[in-house]
Amino acid sequence: MPTLRGLTVRWLEAIVRNAPPPCREWASAMLRELDFIESDWAALLWAIGSMASISRHGLRVWMRSGEEEPTMKDTAIKVAGVLLGVLIAVALMAAGAFGVHGVLFRFFPALEHQGVPWPVWVIALVLEALLVVGTVKLWQKRRPMAVGILLAAVVFGTHFVVHIATHWNG
Amino acid sequence: MKLRVSPQTLKVLEVFLEEPRLWRYGYDISRVTGLKSGSLYPILMRLADRRLLETEWETNEAGKPPRHLYRLTPDGLQLAREQRQGRPLNARRTELSGAEG
Repeated sequence: MPTLRGLTVRWLEAIVRNAPPPCREWASAMLRELDFIESDWAALLWAIGSMASISRHGLRVWMRSGEEEPTMKDTAIKVAGVLLGVLIAVALMAAGAFGVHGVLFRFFPALEHQGVPWPVWVIALVLEALLVVGTVKLWQKRRPMAVGILLAAVVFGTHFVVHIATHWNG
Repeated sequence: MKLRVSPQTLKVLEVFLEEPRLWRYGYDISRVTGLKSGSLYPILMRLADRRLLETEWETNEAGKPPRHLYRLTPDGLQLAREQRQGRPLNARRTELSGAEG
């Protein structure tokens, strides 16, 4: 399946291009290994894991940036901000999931009996979009909180992609 | 900063201990340890941050993109050997406490 392989490579190349400078070498290292992974699905999973690693490393680098010797208080405030962002994202996802689910099946009750998967995809995409908008809105004024929301969005998105990949029946 | 030596980190250290002077590729370590890239690379990054792991780009052969190579520094080797020696002792302690209890 050359298309899947091509998409995976392009996706990881984009991650390399957009990775913060301290992470770029590691992102390139993970990209180079793709050539030696035989299965396309294994390559995709490798790329997903690579993205998670780069996000975590980038977050750690960012948390360490700023003052040379950040005080404990500053670090605690940043960590609290990130945790608050994660909590807000989880609350938003829970409320959003029930809300969108209710609206969708209220206006299209037939969908509930057809057993098609796409309404769930729509819900997931709407929630993911909400989290991305939240991150963009908060990025300038409350960056730690935005990072928390982004973190939740990445975890949720990764989970969603892995779920689709492992449950896809064509 | 103290390094948290998780069971996954121990697996990675074990691989490097097999042939300490040999440079290794990320995907090969992943295959040997069974760790996915999302678990393996954060471990490699942490080891490199603490100067326990040295990294190098492979000398490029014509037409082949270079690969990243890894091996433990002397400090890393020392840590790996200490962990290897410590583990059977801990396991023995657990067995002993289990037998006594």
